[in-house]
Amino acid sequence: MAVTPPPLRTVDTGAGFRHPLYQVMLETPGLTVGTAALDDLLSWGLTKAMWIFPMATSCCGIEFMATAASRVDIDRMGVIVRATPRQADVMVVAGTITTKMAPRVLKLWEQMPEPKWCIAMGSCAISGDFYRNLYSVVPGIDTFLPVDVYVPGCPPNPEALMHGMMRLQEKIQRQRKGENVVPELNPDLLKITQPSVPRLNEATRSPTQTLEQERASENPTLDEETDPLVVPPSEPAPGLAPLVGADFQALLIELGVAELPKDGPPVIPAAQHLELARRLKGLGYRQLVTIAASHWPAGKGRKGADAAEVEHHEIAYALRTVGPGSRLASWAVKVPVAEPVLTLAGVFAGADWQEREQFDLVGVRFAGHPDLRRIMQTENATTHPLRREFPADAHLAPWR
Amino acid sequence: MTQLTVTAQKRPNPYLSIDSLDPESELMLLHFGPQHPSTHGVFRMDLYLDGEIIVKAVPHCGYLHRAVEKLCEKLSYVQLTPIVDKNDYVAPMTNEQAIVMACEAMLKLEVPRRARWMRALFAELQRIASHLLAIGTFCLDLGGALGGGSTAFIYCFRERELILDLFEDVTGARFHYNTHTIGGNRHDLPAGWGAKVKAVLDVIEARMPEYAALTIENRIFQQRTKNVGVLDGELALELGVTGPNLRASGIDHDLRRDAPFHAYDEVKVNVAVATGGDCYARSIVRVAEVKESLRLCRAFLDGMPEGPINSGKPTKLTVQTKIPAGQVYVGIETPRGELGTWLITDGTQNAYRLKIRPPSLHALSALPYILPGYTVSDAVAILGSLDPIMGEVDR
Repeated sequence: MAVTPPPLRTVDTGAGFRHPLYQVMLETPGLTVGTAALDDLLSWGLTKAMWIFPMATSCCGIEFMATAASRVDIDRMGVIVRATPRQADVMVVAGTITTKMAPRVLKLWEQMPEPKWCIAMGSCAISGDFYRNLYSVVPGIDTFLPVDVYVPGCPPNPEALMHGMMRLQEKIQRQRKGENVVPELNPDLLKITQPSVPRLNEATRSPTQTLEQERASENPTLDEETDPLVVPPSEPAPGLAPLVGADFQALLIELGVAELPKDGPPVIPAAQHLELARRLKGLGYRQLVTIAASHWPAGKGRKGADAAEVEHHEIAYALRTVGPGSRLASWAVKVPVAEPVLTLAGVFAGADWQEREQFDLVGVRFAGHPDLRRIMQTENATTHPLRREFPADAHLAPWR
Repeated sequence: MTQLTVTAQKRPNPYLSIDSLDPESELMLLHFGPQHPSTHGVFRMDLYLDGEIIVKAVPHCGYLHRAVEKLCEKLSYVQLTPIVDKNDYVAPMTNEQAIVMACEAMLKLEVPRRARWMRALFAELQRIASHLLAIGTFCLDLGGALGGGSTAFIYCFRERELILDLFEDVTGARFHYNTHTIGGNRHDLPAGWGAKVKAVLDVIEARMPEYAALTIENRIFQQRTKNVGVLDGELALELGVTGPNLRASGIDHDLRRDAPFHAYDEVKVNVAVATGGDCYARSIVRVAEVKESLRLCRAFLDGMPEGPINSGKPTKLTVQTKIPAGQVYVGIETPRGELGTWLITDGTQNAYRLKIRPPSLHALSALPYILPGYTVSDAVAILGSLDPIMGEVDR
C-alpha cells in the first residue's frame, strides 16, 4: 500500500507578525540588533537549562542513571532530572515501550509544557529492537511521539547520551533561527496500540518480492539432514541434576507413580495433585519455586509426537526444601485444554501470581483460584500468546 | 509512624473486596505508578488509603512485558544469551548463566573447570555491582531525610562504574555482555586483569565503612526502615521469595551453599541471615553480602585454574544445534534470589517452551501482604527494599 510521507511544518519565523511595537522596533535604528541579541539570549537559556523527564522503563534507564551519577555527571550541562512532566523540557524515553505502557507515555508527554523535545534513547525506543515483531512491544516510539534526537545503542553509553543532549542543544539553536523543520506526526501513526501504517514506501521493496517471501528469505528454514550437531551424551555436569529425595520418591510410589522419568518430571493424576502438594509441604518442601504451563497441540501435527495424543496443557510445579542440601521436588499435571486444574493458591500463597501468569500467557484455567485475572497483558486482551498456534512474528510492525 | 506499624496484622487477606473493607466508601484510591521514580521501572500499585494508612494494596505489573518467552521459542539456543541479558539488566551475566546451564544440563555437557570458576567470579562481581545499585537507589527512595539521599546514590554509582570497567575489559560492553556460551565462556580473562580486579576490590572494601555510616549505621536510615514492611519467614517461603529478601526474614537458605553450582562447591560460602524481616534487615543483609562477595572474589581470583574456557565438543555450537527432547529445571542464586529456567525441548533447534522464574516477581507478590498498615512513605521504602527489577518481573 502506498503511503504519503508525513507532512512537514516549518517553524514560524515571525514573517507575518504585525504589532505596533514591532513596527516601532523596525523603524528605530539599532533596535533590531538588540532583539536579535535577546533572541540569542533566549535560545542560550533554552539550551543551557534543559530539564529532563526520564521515561526510564528498562535497561537504558540504568545507563540514564549512570549518566546522571558521579562519573559522567550530566548536571554540569545544566541538565536536571525532574520526576514530574510538568517541570520538564525534554523527555528521554529510555527503554522498551510496550503497548500497555504506550498510552501512559503519550499522556505524560501531553502533560509537558511547550516548548518540549523528545530523545529516543536506545534501540528499543528507536525501533523496538529485537522485540519489534512481538505482540506486546511498540516498534519504536516515533510511531506516536515526535522524536527530535535518536541515541543509538543497546544500551547507549552515558557519553552517547551526553552527545545526544549536545545534538539537541544544537538543534534547538537552529530551530530558534528558523533554519530547521520539525517533522509532524501522521495522525494515523498515533493509533499506538495498533500502529498498522507502514513507514517505508512499498516501492522500496523489490516489486517481484512479496512481504512473505522477503520474510522467508530472512529466516531460512534449516535443512533437517545437514549436520544436526546433536552432542553425544556424556557424564552429567556436576551439581546440575536436581536432587530428588527419597521422601519424594516414596510419596510418588504411594500415589502410584512407580519410577521417575529420566527426561522430565513425573506426571501425577490431576485429582491427586493438590494432595501431593499438601503432603510435600508437610515433608519440608516449604518453598514454592515455580509453576510452568505449556500448551501441546494434538499429536497429529507435531513431529515426534504420538498421533493419538489430544490437545492438552501440561502444568509443571516445583517445590524446594530450605537449608543445606536443598532438594527439588517437581511434578507435572496433564489436562485437556477445556478442563481446569485445581489451584495451589490455598496451599502456597505464591501460586496466586504464578497461576495468573500461566492463565494470561498460556490459557490454563485454575479452578478455585481466588483472583484469576490477567497479569502481564492488558485486562481486555483476548489472546493467550504462549499457545503454539500464536505467531511469534506478530502483526504490529511488518514494515520494520 | 512506628506506633502505627506494630498494629499491622501478621498476614492480611489480600482478597477481601474493597466494599467489605470500606462500606462507607471513605477510602481514597491512589494510583502509584506506573511512571514513578521510586517504582524502579514501570510498576503500578492501587493503594486504598485511610488518611495516610494503606488499607489495601493491589499491585499491577506487565508494563514492561516484552514477550521474552515467546521470542525464545522462535530463536535457536545459541541466540538466547543476548535476549535474556535484558531480563535482569542490573546483573545481566546471571541471566546468561541460568539459560546456558539449562542447555548444558540437557546436552549433558561438562563445562571446563576454568569456565566454571570464571562464571562464579563474574557472578560475585555482578552481585557487588547489583547490591551497590540496590543500596544506592534505596537511599534515593528514602529521600532527603537522609541528609541528601542522593549522596549514597552518587557514592554507590562511583564504585559500580569501577566494576563495569572491569567487565568492559573482558567483554567489550558495559552491560548486556553476551559472554557465556553453551559449554563455557566466550571471552578469556585479559592479561593483567586479575590485578585490576584486586585493586577495585581493595577500593570498595576500603569504602565499605563509608556506606555503612551513610546507610545502616545512620540513625535516620534506621528510623525510616526498622519495623517497616515486616515479612514473615513462613509467608516468604510460601510466596517463593528468595535471595536477600528471604534471608532477611530469618530463613537460612542460599543456593550457592545449599545446591552448589559453578564453583561454589569448592569454596566456603558464608550466608548472611537477619531475623527482622523488615526493610532494615534486608539492607543489612545486602551490605553483608557485598562484604562476603569481596572475599569470594579474591578466593576465585587466587584459585583460578588454568585450562580451556569452553568445552571441546563441539568446538563451536551453531544455530543448528539441536537439543534432545526432555525437560529440565535449573535454578541459580542471583543477587535477587533464585533465578530459574524451566526448559522444555522437543528435539529441534528451538526451545519448545522456556519458563524463566524471576526472583523479583515473587518478591513483588509479597506486597499485598506487607503493605497494609503502613503509610504511603513507607510503601516507597518497602518497594525499594525488595529491590525489584521490572525487566525480569514482566519479561
